[in-house]
Amino acid sequence: MLKYVLNRVKSSLVILLVVSMITFFVLMIIPGNPAQLILGTDATAEAIEDLRIAMGLDRPYYQQYLGWLLDLLKFDLGTSYIYGEAVTSLIIRAIPVTFSIAVFAMLIATITALFFGILSAVKKDSIIDYFSRSIMQLGTAIPSFWIGMVFIVYFGLRLKWFPISGFVPISSSFAGFLKSIALPAIVLAIGETGTLLRIVRSSMLDSLKQDYMDAARIKGLNKWKIYMKYALRGALIAPVTIIGMQFAKLAGGTVVVETIFALPGIGRLVLTAVERRDIVLLQGLVMFITTTVIFITLMVDLLIMTINPRIKSVERGE
Amino acid sequence: MKKNLSIALGIFLVIIILTVCLLSFIYMPHEPNEMNISQKFLKPGVNSEYILGTDNFGRDILSRIMYGSRNVLLVGIGSVSLGTFIGIILGAIAAINNKLLSAVIMRIMDGLMAFPGILLALMLVTVVGRGIKGSVIAISIFMVPVFSRLVYSMILDTENLLYIKAARSYGSSNLTIFMRHYIPAMLPRLVTQFSSAIGSAVMIETSLSFLGLGIQPPFASWGLMLSESRQFFLNYPYLAVAPGIAIIMTVLGFILIGDGLNDMLIHRRSDDE
Repeated sequence: MLKYVLNRVKSSLVILLVVSMITFFVLMIIPGNPAQLILGTDATAEAIEDLRIAMGLDRPYYQQYLGWLLDLLKFDLGTSYIYGEAVTSLIIRAIPVTFSIAVFAMLIATITALFFGILSAVKKDSIIDYFSRSIMQLGTAIPSFWIGMVFIVYFGLRLKWFPISGFVPISSSFAGFLKSIALPAIVLAIGETGTLLRIVRSSMLDSLKQDYMDAARIKGLNKWKIYMKYALRGALIAPVTIIGMQFAKLAGGTVVVETIFALPGIGRLVLTAVERRDIVLLQGLVMFITTTVIFITLMVDLLIMTINPRIKSVERGE
Repeated sequence: MKKNLSIALGIFLVIIILTVCLLSFIYMPHEPNEMNISQKFLKPGVNSEYILGTDNFGRDILSRIMYGSRNVLLVGIGSVSLGTFIGIILGAIAAINNKLLSAVIMRIMDGLMAFPGILLALMLVTVVGRGIKGSVIAISIFMVPVFSRLVYSMILDTENLLYIKAARSYGSSNLTIFMRHYIPAMLPRLVTQFSSAIGSAVMIETSLSFLGLGIQPPFASWGLMLSESRQFFLNYPYLAVAPGIAIIMTVLGFILIGDGLNDMLIHRRSDDE
């Protein structure tokens, strides 16, 4: 047990190290001199050279990488050129926005997927089954920016039910907060529900075939009680893994949705960094996002191990 | 959904898109970038010369959709083909070679997999630059770990099968065994994954061009058309209908084919998934 935990932690750290190398070296080969970008086109060659040396860009790549890695360990992600502010503080300010929409999106997706997934499995091959699966299939094929635009016009501008842009912190108004994240969360949920529904349905079907289900039926227990109490419990492992992965993905920034709804979250920072070529900011964001994803994935794995200790990592295809 | 129905629908949708794309080389009602301000914001069906209407510059939407299909398919199919090719090679090298090389390759793949959603594509576009080339390179690198892991695990799974051992005992080279035995055995999964991957690649391409990081104006791309329609959407909602439907048809088409093939070729037993 302890060995498994240590192994998982070790492999997560290795992946993180690999990610840091990919990020650093990919963004190192970027054309253009960062010092030039900061000082602008009218700077003298000398000033640019001085800044380059001051930033340590004249050192060999491996030294720059080690220095950067050491700073990362101290949570120092450097200073953004375009904002002139520490990357860490920019990220900390953006976290609540992205985190809130990710949590609500996953809540909506999970509830919808559980409801229709269970119903689809129990009423297999019925109209409900085909209908819910077809709709969900369609949901995964609809681009989030398209749905987002439609929502903004109908629910935001025509019906005026929700604000069309911006974020209201939970501390200033709870109702305002809910309204400001409702549309983005629903848009994200539409994209995630389909995958989750399939997993819920297929593991529920698996679980309904187990012997203990027959035993429960023979005992004469109420049908829905059997479904909810026995079948669902056996069927939850796979969906929990997927929910974890999806949440990790969303928590890592939802560039498109944050752009459409003008939300000042992680995804917006990513897009700004890409558009304005702010390498330090982009490096910091990428490391923050991938660390979050790897950490959440690790937590989910460990959580599942506690729910069902029999599961070995091999069986989950790792 | 019945399996045959889903694959049939998928093929139907993909054929429509391919036909539109091929037709665009032979005939388009108008030059896609031709502006005609006097004809701007024509609604669909009002003027028979502009069946799907015109945009804010009076450009013909149908022609732009047709032209855009080239970019979407070029980037979608091109990037997935490139990614599959590199992925198969890396996966095979990792599975057949010694431990060290295999560990290095597979850890890099794990690292690439840790980038969620379009983050990796965004990072690569920053380096490679915007436009078709940038999108193809970014999306193909995104696809590499998916295919290399698939190939890696499939080779390890089949390594101990008798016919592979037999081939080895004849003294066949690794390359021969790979081409003669592994590739045919892996084909169903590769084809399935290939089709679904095109669906995701199209989604990523349209997202990149929606964000202004893909194909650059004035050239037409579906994502870009949607992004351009944003400011006029309240008064002219039809502007977003055609590109939206085109994207959904393409993505859905490739995903349905992938799903259908998956059920037909791999999980024959199940009507359950």
